Amino acid sequence: MIPNGPGVPAPGTELELHWRSSRHARRLLTLGLAGLFAAVLARRPEFAGLAAPALLLLVAGRVQRRPPRITVSARPSTRRVFEGERLAVDVVAEGAGEGSVRWRLHPGLEIAPAGATAADGRRARFVVSPERWGRRQLGTLEVTLRDPWRLAEGHASMPLPSLDCYPAPAQQRTRVVLRRLPNRLGEHPARASGEGIEFSGVREYVPGDRQRSINWPASTRRGRLQVNTFAAERSQDVVLLVDATSDVGEPGSSALDLALRGAGAAARAYTGARDRVGVITYQWGGTSWLPPGLGRRQVYRIIDSMLSSDAGWARGASFARLPRAALPPGALVVVFSPLLDQRFVEALRDMRERGFTLLVVDVLYAEPPARRRAEDRIARRIWRMEQEAIRFSLRELGVAVVHWDGEESLDLPLAGYTRRPMAAWR
Amino acid sequence: MTSSATGRAWVAVRAAAVLLGAGSVIWAALPPVHKGYAGFALTVAIAGVAGGGLRLALTAVPVPEESYLLSAGLRAWRAFLAAVRLVPWEEGALIAIVWLEVLHPARPWHTAVLGAGLVAYLLVTHLAESDASLATLRPQARVLGAGAGLLALGAAAGMLPAAGPGAGSALLRTVAAAALIAAAGLVLPYVARR
Repeated sequence: MIPNGPGVPAPGTELELHWRSSRHARRLLTLGLAGLFAAVLARRPEFAGLAAPALLLLVAGRVQRRPPRITVSARPSTRRVFEGERLAVDVVAEGAGEGSVRWRLHPGLEIAPAGATAADGRRARFVVSPERWGRRQLGTLEVTLRDPWRLAEGHASMPLPSLDCYPAPAQQRTRVVLRRLPNRLGEHPARASGEGIEFSGVREYVPGDRQRSINWPASTRRGRLQVNTFAAERSQDVVLLVDATSDVGEPGSSALDLALRGAGAAARAYTGARDRVGVITYQWGGTSWLPPGLGRRQVYRIIDSMLSSDAGWARGASFARLPRAALPPGALVVVFSPLLDQRFVEALRDMRERGFTLLVVDVLYAEPPARRRAEDRIARRIWRMEQEAIRFSLRELGVAVVHWDGEESLDLPLAGYTRRPMAAWR
Repeated sequence: MTSSATGRAWVAVRAAAVLLGAGSVIWAALPPVHKGYAGFALTVAIAGVAGGGLRLALTAVPVPEESYLLSAGLRAWRAFLAAVRLVPWEEGALIAIVWLEVLHPARPWHTAVLGAGLVAYLLVTHLAESDASLATLRPQARVLGAGAGLLALGAAAGMLPAAGPGAGSALLRTVAAAALIAAAGLVLPYVARR
């Protein structure tokens, strides 16, 4: 569960009840009327006696008080949840009088009930689990209020609040670090010497050096005072570039699913290392973006920004004219894309020519369907060759391209780039 | 209460409903008569009681969600469940049973027992479908008692010899019984409220 505390207690919603006879009442009425008709038609008073208990129950039941309205409050345990996680929805009814309350939950799209969908009582709890990321409506709640004799039923329904379902993040523990880091305090050892904790080398003592940094064994060997030097610790700017143009593949493991999960994992990994992380969501030439920021809350901001591409601060901004705030110079750009949109590939080439260090995580995990016809087979081969050509051309430009299937940890495809600092080619 | 005890109660109340329905059908049908669509009425009564029992037995079975990808079998199962839950089985059975009783010659005490059986059938069916306990009926005990009294009065009125020959006398008795029910219906709400 995302630790943002419980959802805001929803104020009670007053619902108008639509009363109608229960099945029990309809059956009693049938018996009463059938008995009376038989009594009149057959002129046999015993049938009037047969109708008597049913009719008396109906008449006596009419005097029961039936509230015209009921106040219902529904409170989900959280408004933000990851895919597959469970959340509880507590519902309370007030103003039901002496009647009994029955609840029925009709789950929304991609919301799976994780328990019973019907319950009795003034208070009830339903447990549901969203199956796929997105801004989801929890569903509809149907309330049935029965009078004490259960001869009438008041019906009302209310929509449940929506929630943000975040893509389940993939695993990523290692990070790609640029060779040239901006002069800002962080956790990555830089090539320049500074006040870090990672040993960098030994040099001769100069006045002003601290005594505690003197390396006594080296000083004894060389006959002059030697001091240890340490690598400076810097942070970097990381921009996650998510291509939301194409969503191909099976729902749940489509290219967009993988891109969002991978971007979520990368956001966690880099913010964990005190890097400033931002996001740009690319969609058909337009973008929404979030400037790089620090901290754990930034992860949720990034995911929020990706979930609703129109929630960015530069709604509909052109990808070619992104401001420095969205794409700081010298930033590491981690791209999650199936590389199917030619305009996006061109944009990547353009960024590379402008000097950005790009790392493309290829999330294409689907192919055209295999068919027997020779033309189809040839088309499939041509498609594959085109895809290989796109990746080859990017590599030729110095763009690192790795393939990720969404199942394994992101550390595996990135292993070649996390072992040593990544050169920012010019 | 343990789950096994709850399960036994669940089965028992449904079995009781079906047995009461079946008993009422047999009680109204015997001795067999061969006039006024008696065979059709008997068929409807049996189908109504059986369908009502089936509906009660399938109460807890979830209906598969509507989807384009449902298989033919699941689609048929869904339609079957919807049909079982939609048809007013008990109403049909009640009309057919009363009609079967009408086809017989006058037997007031027999009709009174049938009335008691039918009311019990409806109450137990109601308890079964709403999963309510027997205590739910406690507030209605006074009304049910008054109803039983009127049932007995109706039977007694049926057993009284007619004041004079002709159909008018029988009709008069019927109207008197109906007026008694109406009077009780007017008075009872104030009695039941206490």
